[in-house]
Amino acid sequence: MEFVVQSMVMGIAVGSIYALIALGFALLFKATKVLNLAHGELVLFGGYLAIALTGVLPFPLAVLGTLVIAALLGFAVERVIMRPLFGQPLLSVIIVTLALGYIIRGLMVGIWGGDTRQFPPVLPAGLIRLGGAQVPQLGIWSALTAILLLAAFGLFFKMTYLGIAMRAAANEQLTASTLGVSLTRVVAYAWAFAAIAAAIGGVLLGLWLGVNVALGFVGLKALAAVILGGLDSIPGAILGGFIVGLVENLIGGYIDAHIIYGFKDITAFLIILAVMMIRPYGLFGTEHIERL
Amino acid sequence: MAAVRPCGDYKVSYAADMALLDTAFYRVGFALLVPALAAAPFLLGRYIFLMNIIGIFAIGATGLAILTGFTGQISLGHAAFMAVGAYVSAFASERFGFAFPVAMVLACLVAFLFGAAVGLPSLRIKGLYLAIATLAFQFLIEYMIIHATGGTGAILVPPAGVGGFVVETEVQFYYLLLVLWLGSGIFAANIIRSRYGLAFMAVRDRDYAAEVLGINLLRYKVLSFGLAALYAGLAGSLWAHYNKLVTPEHFTILTSIDYIAMIVIGGMGSIWGPHLGSAFVVFLSQGLKILTPLLIKVLPMFGKIAVPAREVLFGMVIIGLLIWEPGGLAMLLRKFKRYLDLWPFAY
Repeated sequence: MEFVVQSMVMGIAVGSIYALIALGFALLFKATKVLNLAHGELVLFGGYLAIALTGVLPFPLAVLGTLVIAALLGFAVERVIMRPLFGQPLLSVIIVTLALGYIIRGLMVGIWGGDTRQFPPVLPAGLIRLGGAQVPQLGIWSALTAILLLAAFGLFFKMTYLGIAMRAAANEQLTASTLGVSLTRVVAYAWAFAAIAAAIGGVLLGLWLGVNVALGFVGLKALAAVILGGLDSIPGAILGGFIVGLVENLIGGYIDAHIIYGFKDITAFLIILAVMMIRPYGLFGTEHIERL
Repeated sequence: MAAVRPCGDYKVSYAADMALLDTAFYRVGFALLVPALAAAPFLLGRYIFLMNIIGIFAIGATGLAILTGFTGQISLGHAAFMAVGAYVSAFASERFGFAFPVAMVLACLVAFLFGAAVGLPSLRIKGLYLAIATLAFQFLIEYMIIHATGGTGAILVPPAGVGGFVVETEVQFYYLLLVLWLGSGIFAANIIRSRYGLAFMAVRDRDYAAEVLGINLLRYKVLSFGLAALYAGLAGSLWAHYNKLVTPEHFTILTSIDYIAMIVIGGMGSIWGPHLGSAFVVFLSQGLKILTPLLIKVLPMFGKIAVPAREVLFGMVIIGLLIWEPGGLAMLLRKFKRYLDLWPFAY
C-alpha cells in the first residue's frame, strides 16, 4: 500500500514535468507537422544553460535568461533550418531534427563536459510525509511549477491574439493564412515555445536529478506521452504526460523491483508500441483518413 | 536510376535497356573500380581497416536503402537488426561451435525473420508513426540483449574462417569482405531492377495506388523489411567476427542514426548512395579519430571535445546536405558527370 501511494505521488510529480515537455512537443507538431526528435536535446539545452548561468547570476535571473536564450534558439532553428525545408518530405524533416539534436548535444557536452552537474540548492531539499508516503520536497515544487505553467500556456492559447492565431494555423493552415495569419511567424513562435517548455522541463528535472547527457532521454518519455495523447492534441499531451509518469512509476516500478531489473526505463517504449497496435492516433488525436 | 541519358545513347533491346551498367561511363568506371578495390590493401597499407569498416556499414546501409530509399518505409531501428545478426552469429559460433559461414547464414535468416515481424505492423501504421514504432523497437532490442546476456552483454567471438582457413589479419578479412560486399551490392541492384524493385518503388510513391494496381502490399512491405534486416544481419555478423567481440554499445540508437545519415548523405533512391554515404560517414568519424592525436599537439584541449566535435560536424553536414542537395552525394556525382558531358557548351 505504501508503495502504491509513494509511486503515485512520484508518478504525478514526474508526470507533470513530462506533461510540460510533451506540451511543447505537441504544440510544435500541431502548428508545423514536424516531429521534433531533438526535443530531448532542447531539454538538455535548458538544463545545461541554466546551470552555467546560475554560476554568474542569481537563480531567478538565470532561469529567466535561460528561457530567453531558449526562445532565441527556437527562432534561430526556424529561420536557419526549418524555413528552407518547408514542404520537404517527412523523412528529410525527421532527419533534420535528429541532426539538430546531434549539434545541440555535441555543443553542450563539448562546452560543459559529460559529467553530471548539480544546481546549487535553491529549492528546499529533503523528504516530507504526504498521506503516509515519503516524497522529496523538490518533486512537489516542480509539480506545482509545472501545473502552474500548464495553466499559463492554456490561458495563452485562449486569451492572447498570438495564441489564437497559432490555434487557427494549427487547425487549418491555408484558411488561417488567407485570413492574415503569418505562417512563418506562427512556426517561429511554435519553435520558441517548444524550446521554452523544454527548457523549463530541463531546469525542473535538473534541479531534481542533476544535469547530464541522460537528461536528453526524457525527450523519448515525452514522445511516449504525446503518442498516447494523440500527436496533435495539447490536452492529450498533458494527460499523456501524467499517465506515462504514473504507469512508469507504478507498474514499471513494481516490475523493476520485483521481477526484472531495469524495466522502468522501457515502460515508455512499451506504451508507444501498445498505442501503435491499438489506436495509432492516440487518445485524442485526429484519425488520418487517407484518400487516393 | 539512369533517368537522364547522354544524347545518342539509345537502346535497341530490352536486355540493353535493363543493363545494370548502362553507359560506357559506368562500364569503364566499374571495370576500373573492381581492380582498384582488389588492390586497396597495397595502396592503403595499415589504413585498410577503414575499408573494412566502410564495407561492413555499406552492406548494412544497402539494406536500409532498399527499405527507406526504395520502399519508402522509415526505420529508426536499423542498428537493432544489426545487433540481432551480430548476436545470433556470436552465439552460433561461440556457444554451439558452428563454422563461420553457417553462423553467418543463420544470422541473416534470423534477422530476416525479425525484419518481417517488425514489417507486419507497417500495413497499419505508416510514415511518422512507423518511424516512432521502429524507434521503440530499437530500444526494446537493446534492453532485451542486455538482459538476455546478463549484465554487460559482451561476448567474445572467434575469428571468421572458411573451411580450414582462419581469417587473422585485416587484409585477409578485407578480401573476405570484398566478395560479400560486391555480391550483396550487385544483388541489391538486381532486386531494384526486377519486378520486386518496381513493386517497392510503387509502394514508396503511393501505397494504396500500388495496391489498386494489384501489388500485394503485405507481401512487399514485409519482404522489404525482411531484406533490409537480412542485409543488416549480414553486416552485424561480419562486424561480430571482425571485432571478435560484440557489445550492445555498437548497436545503439546512435548507430541507427548513423545508418540514416549514410543513406541521406549518399543519396536516397540510388544504389550507389549507401556505399558513398558509408565511406563519407566512416571517413568523417574515423578521420577525426586519426587526426585527434595530431590536433592535441596543436590544441591540447581538443582531446576532450573530439567526440562532441564529431557530433556537431556530423549534424551540420546532414543539415547542409538536406538544405542544398537533398539528392546526396550520388546526385552531386551525377551532376558533375553531366557537367563534364556537356562541357564546354552547357545548355
